[in-house]
Amino acid sequence: MQSLSRLLLIRSFLRLFLLQASWNFERMQNLGVLYVLEPVLRALYRDDALQEAYHRHMGYFNTHPFMASPILGATIALEQRRAAGQVGTFGVDDFKSMTMAPYAAIGDALFWGGVRPLAVCVSLFFAVKGSLLAPVVFLLGFNLPHLWMRLMGFMRGYLLGVSVVEIIQRHRLPDLAVRIKEGMVVVLGGLIAYLTVATCRGAGFSAGWGAAALPLICLFVLFARKGASALLLLGLSLAFLVTFFQVVIW
Amino acid sequence: MDFLGCLFVAGVAVVCGLDRTAALQLMISRPIVAGPLAGFVLGAPLVGLQVGLLTELLWLCRIPVGASIPPDDTQVAVGATFLAVSVLPPDSLQISVIIFCLLIAMPLAKCGQLFDRMARRANDTLSRRAGRSVQSGNLGAVDRMHLVGLGHFALASLLTFIVVASAGSVLCAILMPSLIILLEQPAPWMQLVFPLVGAAMILASINVSRVMTLFSASFASALLMLWLL
Repeated sequence: MQSLSRLLLIRSFLRLFLLQASWNFERMQNLGVLYVLEPVLRALYRDDALQEAYHRHMGYFNTHPFMASPILGATIALEQRRAAGQVGTFGVDDFKSMTMAPYAAIGDALFWGGVRPLAVCVSLFFAVKGSLLAPVVFLLGFNLPHLWMRLMGFMRGYLLGVSVVEIIQRHRLPDLAVRIKEGMVVVLGGLIAYLTVATCRGAGFSAGWGAAALPLICLFVLFARKGASALLLLGLSLAFLVTFFQVVIW
Repeated sequence: MDFLGCLFVAGVAVVCGLDRTAALQLMISRPIVAGPLAGFVLGAPLVGLQVGLLTELLWLCRIPVGASIPPDDTQVAVGATFLAVSVLPPDSLQISVIIFCLLIAMPLAKCGQLFDRMARRANDTLSRRAGRSVQSGNLGAVDRMHLVGLGHFALASLLTFIVVASAGSVLCAILMPSLIILLEQPAPWMQLVFPLVGAAMILASINVSRVMTLFSASFASALLMLWLL
């Protein structure tokens, strides 16, 4: 089997950061996949075989951009075996199409729904204090797991091939996503309580009045679940505040 | 604000805009980073931080799943920071002005979704052209077309910023003298409303069982502790 140099793999890995550069409605990340695989495909195939390999990856592909790392790492391993004439149970296309949807769901829940909001909530404590460390805290909190997933996912995908699926299963990422979301909700509760108390004290009220924020949030949640947008809720609340201060206070 | 400042902040808008979808995704596109970054190049990072704090939670859980395009909070943060710095006196952190600029920037930045959609449509053409290139054996064209897509996204971000900054500046000049006085009294409470609405949007969209119980328990215990302290 033809070995792939580290330099080639590093080039492919770095190209992962531009996976979505040509994201389109019709085939979503298809050109991105080809862009990532291009150095490897050119090393493995020549002439018609190379053109055929390009054809293979021109089809629809869409997954979470960070979870694409294990998929494309394993795809490189599969292409390498295919170029060496070893035919396994899974074809390259089969593997990609079987994994992209579940991995997208895992990535969305874990990174967009869990890690990102948690990192934001922690960093907002710094922002409330007026500390410019807030963006740094957020970037560190988000990017450490993000870059770990990208790097380890790609490496393990390449080294293990289709068996990378078992590793992802063993880590029980969907369960982890739920735990992170629960943690985020707790931190969010603390953050909102802190903001409410700070505002009440700033306006000369007792911190206990901050409890009034809870039914207000419940009301907002109710409206949001009925389909009200953030802009609408914000607009109505601000209009109410302006009217209240104009009519009642003045 | 000088021309160089405008150029730098437009650069920040493009780089952060690319980070949203097309490149890296290190999350420098989040308002809590993009706001201070825009503020930093304009010499007022704390204004940007305040904008980021107010904006961050509002659309945090609008996830870019499949073909859905979330509201462009990156350009809201960069645009509102630009507007606030351009109307605020140096070293001032007047919250009513920052809120006013945000209220101007938020509806204007809706055009970001439109430009983003246009960029993705333009990329549809690239994908088709790349398919034809592969069929004709011109494989090198695939890489080039992929990178042209990056240009489409960059252009979409730049256009959104230009709309927010230019139309926002005009609106600020027209509306601010008469409306800012209305915001001065309620400004501290308005400052609280932003994260309250943001938190509600997160709680409404998050997929966790007994989310309201968890949030209420955390909120109540933190409030109690802060009250006692």
